[in-house]
Amino acid sequence: MTSSGQIKKNNTGPEAEHKALPEGYGATEAALLPRDPNWMFIYWEITENSKKNICRLHGEDVFQKSRQVIRVYDVSAADTAGRYFDVPVMLEARSWYINVQEGGRAYCCEVGLVMPDGSFVGLVKTNTVSLPAGRVSDVTDEKWMAVSADFEKLLQLSGVEHIGKGSGEVAKSLAQRWEMLRAVFSRASSWGVSSMSSQALQKPEQQQQKKNFWLVADCELILYGATEPDAFVTVSGRKVNLNPDGTFSMRFALPDGVVDLPIKALSKDETETREIAIKVTRATTTDGK
Amino acid sequence: MANKEKGYLALVLHAHLPFIRHPEYEDFLEEDWFFEAMCETYIPLLDVYERLTAEGTDFRVTMSITPPLCNMMADDLLRERFRRYYSLRLELAEKEVVRNRNTKFYDVAKMYETKFRRIRELYEDYYHGRILEGFKKFQDMGKLEIITCGATHGFLPLELRKEAVHAQIKLAADDYRRHFGRGPRGIWLAECAYNPGDDVFLKAQGIRYFFLETHGIIYGSPRPRYGVYAPVYCPSGVAAFGRDMESAQQVWSAETGYPGDNRYREFYRDLGYDLEYDYVKPYLHQDGVRRNIGMKYCKITGKVQLNEKAPYNPAEAREMAASHAGNFMFNRERQIEHLNGFLGRKPVVVSMYDAELYGHWWYEGVDFLEFLFKKIHHDQKAIKMVTPSEYLGIHPDNQVVQPCMSTWGDKGYNEVWLNGTNDWMYRHLHKQVERMVELANKFPAADGTLLRALNQCAREVVLGMSSDWAFLMTVGTAKSYSTKRFVAHTHRFNGLYEQIMGNRLEENFLKDIEWRDNIFPELNYRVFSTEEMEKASRS
Repeated sequence: MTSSGQIKKNNTGPEAEHKALPEGYGATEAALLPRDPNWMFIYWEITENSKKNICRLHGEDVFQKSRQVIRVYDVSAADTAGRYFDVPVMLEARSWYINVQEGGRAYCCEVGLVMPDGSFVGLVKTNTVSLPAGRVSDVTDEKWMAVSADFEKLLQLSGVEHIGKGSGEVAKSLAQRWEMLRAVFSRASSWGVSSMSSQALQKPEQQQQKKNFWLVADCELILYGATEPDAFVTVSGRKVNLNPDGTFSMRFALPDGVVDLPIKALSKDETETREIAIKVTRATTTDGK
Repeated sequence: MANKEKGYLALVLHAHLPFIRHPEYEDFLEEDWFFEAMCETYIPLLDVYERLTAEGTDFRVTMSITPPLCNMMADDLLRERFRRYYSLRLELAEKEVVRNRNTKFYDVAKMYETKFRRIRELYEDYYHGRILEGFKKFQDMGKLEIITCGATHGFLPLELRKEAVHAQIKLAADDYRRHFGRGPRGIWLAECAYNPGDDVFLKAQGIRYFFLETHGIIYGSPRPRYGVYAPVYCPSGVAAFGRDMESAQQVWSAETGYPGDNRYREFYRDLGYDLEYDYVKPYLHQDGVRRNIGMKYCKITGKVQLNEKAPYNPAEAREMAASHAGNFMFNRERQIEHLNGFLGRKPVVVSMYDAELYGHWWYEGVDFLEFLFKKIHHDQKAIKMVTPSEYLGIHPDNQVVQPCMSTWGDKGYNEVWLNGTNDWMYRHLHKQVERMVELANKFPAADGTLLRALNQCAREVVLGMSSDWAFLMTVGTAKSYSTKRFVAHTHRFNGLYEQIMGNRLEENFLKDIEWRDNIFPELNYRVFSTEEMEKASRS
């Protein structure tokens, strides 16, 4: 497969079909995943039973009077053991992206409630995640010191300024081609239309989520004609097979732009010729909605 | 005059496709990905290796052939369908040679005829439908080093349970032994995604090295003395080789990369669309929808409309590939000479690419590689091509560095596989792994139908773990297919799990799934047990 995909601004939601899976698994649990030096992803499930237990302990109105938060603990070292910050959240969100200022540290999270008196009631805790530092290490060994002056140069030689970009370039050229494949593949199941155009015939996924109304359209070109059944006919220099009655027809893809279709017929005795030239221009515009 | 070289070049090609095999359909669109890659990349590469060997040109190349790809190459149904695929292409190519006689497309039509005849010859007469034998032959000669990959190209840094990491590596190593008769020496971690510490599971399988994106090494701790131009040892003793960005850019850059040359083949003009409908219809899928069929008659030409593309000239394009190979070699020579002086040691430049870049995306890429191997062998002395194993044999002493978490994806970390399009998958995936570990621990020695059901559970879990699904959702390509696949494997696993736990296994349900998802015929579910994982991590 391909080395890297580019993250696109206009492709941010899941395919609707993922809803075929269960919402949850009937267990109160949470997990934390590393995304990059500054971001983590948390998902959680809190069962009705767990909520009832909390109500029993802290009062029926505990969810109304408290603030729902994700408490993010820095657990990198003993001296930071008490360090945390809260991210306000709705329990119903069930997942969240968490931004941290400092890469290279270890974190764990607890989804819970901050009570009016400032105390914290934890609902569910995650695993611990160690984020990458995202920069050159401060640690140098003895041997290194002798050549450390050259380190910057070595970094450049190693292509450090391309980090993330090299793959982005890769992605750009690949993405264009994948784009094409997608246009081609996506029509497979749902469309009987058989041509290619600069526009991919596909339901715009984003738009469809917001508004249920959508439109796609494309067109093809059918060329037809007739001559003596025994004539020799070419279209754009390619030989055309005539039907027994001398008629012919061809179906073409019609991309945006100009298509020239010179049609030539030569009589069987090669004494007479007839020519028709057809020029077709296609220009597609959309209202961009 | 030995040891004249100034440094080493390790060329690494990553060959992978997700496991796509649909016996339930007579004709399945996404299976074409495999057939196309066979015709455009895998068999043409073997053809190059055959030719170089026949003419006495020595070469070295490292290639991952991932377990899903191995399983597809060895699968009876897909082998049959591949025969159908290339036979139809050959039939069309032969017709096209006649149709295009005395036209400006004759040379390119002839090229396809020759190409598909050669594919048939190699596939049938040389390898008897067993293409892995071909790769094994060059590995046994010491010219090609085949490495493995996680069992289903699983994205390891987003796994919560080490049992899953162990299972991906162990299954891969076992499957490798089945195909190549010895254990793998190296591995391509899917997406170059490395999570510090996971290397102990590589070591447990006797794997000596893996590959990282540049910053995986550069941001390691302590600072790597030689940057990416020497491997480092993880604390476990497994070596990590870092990617050289300069050679990557040279091929890949959208502005200056080789594949964009005007004389090379245009990807977007395909006979599937260009030919008259009734004529091309027999070569389309059964639904009769026009699609790419992989035969293209035009060159890139320049910045012109698709309908203004000029005819492709195979001889001219091949010359260009030779010239680009010369340019690539020249740049490596200068790079290696420079690094040698700067580092005071022979550098190893690791050039890593998707194998499918060569031939499938960049049609002339395979010619480029052939010219490159030849030129390096005949025309210069500064560079010696090596496999990573050879390098470690020559230079067993390397700095100990803990590489950092990294991938070769956009932005360098996990975002391609963890974003709004695909983050919903992980709660399901993690639950399956948790349940699979529970099953493996609960049944230490199952047999009969239960054994089959447990093994099938393990197949479904690993198929769902494939990083390809998340990737395809992110790039928006085949988003619907990848979602369907992930949902299907999840359903199948959950169905079996409930039947096993409820002690009400349905033979027909099991049989149907076994028939569909037949990857890893020799798999044993115990690979997911906590005991096996712990044993491996202590080794």
